[in-house]
Amino acid sequence: MRRLVKTLVLVSIILGFSFILTVASEYFIPGESVRPLAVFYLSTTFNPWLPYLTVYSPEAVTAIVWDYRGLDTLFETAVFYLALIAGIALARGISLKADPGNEGGLSVIVKTVTRITGPMIVAVGASIGLHGHLTPGGGFQGGATIAVIPLIIIITFSVFFVIGKGVTKDKMLVLRSFGLVGIGLTALAALIIGLAVGKTAYVFQNMAKPTSEVSLPAYFNESLVSGTLWFFNLFEMIAVAAGFTIAFLLLTYPENKEGENA
Amino acid sequence: MISIDFFNTYLLSIVVFSLVLNFALSLYGLFYRPHYIKKIIALTILSDTANTFAIYIGYRRWVSEGNTNPRPPVIPTTEITPSILSEFVARSVDPLPQALVLTAVVIGLAVTIFLVFLGYQLFVHYKTLDMRKIKRLKG
Repeated sequence: MRRLVKTLVLVSIILGFSFILTVASEYFIPGESVRPLAVFYLSTTFNPWLPYLTVYSPEAVTAIVWDYRGLDTLFETAVFYLALIAGIALARGISLKADPGNEGGLSVIVKTVTRITGPMIVAVGASIGLHGHLTPGGGFQGGATIAVIPLIIIITFSVFFVIGKGVTKDKMLVLRSFGLVGIGLTALAALIIGLAVGKTAYVFQNMAKPTSEVSLPAYFNESLVSGTLWFFNLFEMIAVAAGFTIAFLLLTYPENKEGENA
Repeated sequence: MISIDFFNTYLLSIVVFSLVLNFALSLYGLFYRPHYIKKIIALTILSDTANTFAIYIGYRRWVSEGNTNPRPPVIPTTEITPSILSEFVARSVDPLPQALVLTAVVIGLAVTIFLVFLGYQLFVHYKTLDMRKIKRLKG
């Protein structure tokens, strides 16, 4: 009853103050047009008639994330990397005990359903990640979706089952480093090509620019890959999925009981 | 007085004011809840509220010309024509806040992972996650 009264009070505060705001002014209301910067992004994200400005990506958000403001996202990836490294460093006291050997986990129904849905979730995550330049989504979202799988398997089976299948912390660290190296190489791809053919090129370049002819292919085998965007999404997906798997593994190691040595 | 325009404005005001109240509640949780995990939960609510604010800034109102809705910043086809492009620019919402929010979400998740591991170490060392007790401990 008290909870209901509290909820009612909150809702009526929101409705009342919103009414006052509405009558008083229209300050909070977004306008009918967007900012000139947004018009620039929207009109150049997939515009074959402006070849020196476009990204050839129908998805404006991914185009901004990995092309217009690509350096921003590179440093964001660095923050993600460092935070996870800090997490692993703080988890130094956590170690895995011997496998108790008993068949743990949930019932056989849950295990069977997990076996069926597991590959489907991986497929959905890969689809989100690899179509990031065409549809809403991208490397981070796809990687986060794929990272659900180890978590579900840890809950329904056990953490020993996952480690027994070879998904260990060290292997995931290697996989994550592979993804991060891939991101770095993709960022330098245009520069490397430019050095190889002896033309001017820039770091984080995707399509050709007025001062640089070097361009990564927008189409591969007649399907749109938007130059570097596809590769960035692929490697980011690998790095994020492996990074979250490390965190889930470390957080679900069984704890020591009272009195045992940590 | 009750026109469609007024009603739209009222609904959008409800969104804004709910966000402000959510912001206040999460700040309360962050400052006055003694338990570490509850502080982390309040922090994630705070960052999500701030992200929603940022997306709201990039929102555009109902386009009165032709009475059409705004749409996401995604072109639904790869065979583009000038008319599709001009319609897209006329109707799509601002993609920049969404891209910045994507960055902020990733960083927020990374910081949350770090804080959770920090909480684990706090519990291992002090056998409690009550911040009032941890504050009184020396060394």
